[in-house]
Amino acid sequence: MQVKKSLSLLICCIFCFTINGCKKGKNNVRTAKTTLKSDESLVLSEIVPNYAKGFHIAHFNSFTRVTIYNPWAEGEIYALYNLYTNDTIALPKEGTSIKIPLTSLVVNTFAYFEFLDQLGELDKITGTSDGFRIYNPNIRAGIQEGRIADLGNPFNMNIEKTLALKPQAVLTSAYAQRDNYSDRISQAGVPVIYNLEWMENSPLARAEWIKMIAAFFDKEEMADSIFNNIECRYLSQKEKTKNIRGKHTVMTGDNFQGTWYVPGGNSFNAALFRDAGLDYYYKKDERSGSIGLDIETMLTQFGDAEYWFGCAAKSYKELAEKDPKYLLFKAVKEKHVFNNDNRTTSAGGNDYFESAIAYPDLLLCDLIKAVYPHLLPHYTFTYIKELE
Amino acid sequence: MPFRVNHKTKTFALLVVTLVVVFIVDIFTGNAPISIRDGWNALFGTSGNAIVDEIVFNYRLPKAITAILAGAALSVAGLLMQTLFRNPLAGPDVLGVSAGAGLGVALLITLGGSTLYSAVSWLGSMAQVAAAIAGAIPVLLLILGVSSRINDSVTILVLGMIFGYVANALITILQSFADPDSLKVFVMWTFGSLSTVTWNKMPLLAILVMTGIIAVFFLQKPLNSLLLGEHYAASVGLNIKQTRRIIITITALITGTVTAFTGPIAFVGVVVPHFARALFGTVNHKIIIPATLISGSILMVTCDIISQIPVSNQTLPINAVTAVFGAPMIIWIVVKRKRL
Repeated sequence: MQVKKSLSLLICCIFCFTINGCKKGKNNVRTAKTTLKSDESLVLSEIVPNYAKGFHIAHFNSFTRVTIYNPWAEGEIYALYNLYTNDTIALPKEGTSIKIPLTSLVVNTFAYFEFLDQLGELDKITGTSDGFRIYNPNIRAGIQEGRIADLGNPFNMNIEKTLALKPQAVLTSAYAQRDNYSDRISQAGVPVIYNLEWMENSPLARAEWIKMIAAFFDKEEMADSIFNNIECRYLSQKEKTKNIRGKHTVMTGDNFQGTWYVPGGNSFNAALFRDAGLDYYYKKDERSGSIGLDIETMLTQFGDAEYWFGCAAKSYKELAEKDPKYLLFKAVKEKHVFNNDNRTTSAGGNDYFESAIAYPDLLLCDLIKAVYPHLLPHYTFTYIKELE
Repeated sequence: MPFRVNHKTKTFALLVVTLVVVFIVDIFTGNAPISIRDGWNALFGTSGNAIVDEIVFNYRLPKAITAILAGAALSVAGLLMQTLFRNPLAGPDVLGVSAGAGLGVALLITLGGSTLYSAVSWLGSMAQVAAAIAGAIPVLLLILGVSSRINDSVTILVLGMIFGYVANALITILQSFADPDSLKVFVMWTFGSLSTVTWNKMPLLAILVMTGIIAVFFLQKPLNSLLLGEHYAASVGLNIKQTRRIIITITALITGTVTAFTGPIAFVGVVVPHFARALFGTVNHKIIIPATLISGSILMVTCDIISQIPVSNQTLPINAVTAVFGAPMIIWIVVKRKRL
């Protein structure tokens, strides 16, 4: 009993000590000078994306508000940014205030290199992650010349080096759970711009995120025109497959440790297959993420699929050596298997994971050319490549 | 006898000095090139450069303090488990509490959009800590429930490990359904990180860990009695069931808290008590408890310094550093002394 009493007393003492004794951090996160409510009635104009569901841009008299929605909790906001050009104006209290146009940026998502290139802002990048794995020749040259810092693993970027670069903002992919890096960086006063384009479930929706990042450079009109152009090209290609009869069947993904991850029917890839005039087994499925299947299910559901995209092997020989069961698929027997390795570097960089987001029309053309070559007689593959 | 006391005091003094040295080295080294003068100014005022102040005061200092707390806490938790179960391989994770914490985090990360996510998302960066604690508590309650019904420590040890296996199995199932990006976020959590504890999280970590650590000092006598076997301890008047419950609760509190804040950190908890016993040549908890606390802190802070060594521009995972760099040190000491 004595031990119990002493323990209770001890807990009380420590609690009081810690509450009083802990030193406050020297947090220098920028707060707005005055508070202003971002009243919806004061919105002068807004950009409501045609395809993307994850962001919204509203223009007020003296600032622009970019809203990033939370795809994991309907109706909730993931991040809010107040973009301003004039230091003297009053800004709303809620959200992160960022002065635009950005002049320096750390980019922790390869997919945005092409957006920034299209907007003529690639030179604003001062740091990035996984430098060795990058395809974009300009970024690679920047790293080699020391203009751009390589901050390491994208999921564990070097915090000290990031802060030492003094970037105006850090652009990073957002996940359901906030990561330590983003918390640390934003606490140090460097705004983190979250992007969630990877949660969009159609190629045009992903490409439309150029409008979001353009707002941070005050280039929304330019982004609008770039996107309209791409949309027009994509839709014209889609139109070509509209009247195809006897659609070819398709499979995708690859086997990893006995599980084959295939995209759900409401996913980006399923949308691409649909637009390319392909018949996908899970086309009526409601899921937007991946579906894990074993090889038996794969053979049952996709054994007769005529085309296989996104294969991880480089050659049919490699495929057969990995697992002879691959040879049972019709697509392999008929040698209709493609990987995404048409533009790669020896260190593992692959343009499919970089610029493809900005050129959904080329992604679509790749599929159409592979399956219905007569529709695009003069086109050559951009991202995909037939197995050797 | 006077020589032995003197020798032990000297060893303690040496450990404390080592801890102070590695703590200072930890604060003054890192990936960003910061001079000792700037670092000093940032610690005790301002260096005149906001970025340097931020790195030294808000990043390196809490990280070093977390290393001290986590190293001490996990090591003493390991000591408690080794004494309670009289098993040299027991560590803080044998109760399954850290696996429970892992399950809580795995649920939060992989089930984005779920009820759990909505329930804790308002907590922001504390959500992960809350999820880990929420995962650890049911395992603790299970273990306490078991220990009130079963009067055999070995059975409790086996059941604790089984709870851990079940929690890990559930984590594996969640991982198999998770999308690749969520999976990577979770895998990064399992690497462990001392830098997740910011100043605003520090009070909670410090309160919980210090409560557990100081409580251990009140258990010196019961722990010494347990070394001679539960029957002997009972014969000298020790309430075995109550003592066991207190030891389990303290271990779970310490381990669950540290795991919640830093992610799982292996190795330290199992090995440091052996190191302390080897260093002082005694099993008396009056000596071994403080020795384990200080040695654990030294090992963890040293591992943090090593984790900063630039390898392709990133810090090494602390969970790997503790084992890869800590093991040779301990093996060398044990081999030199020819026993644990």
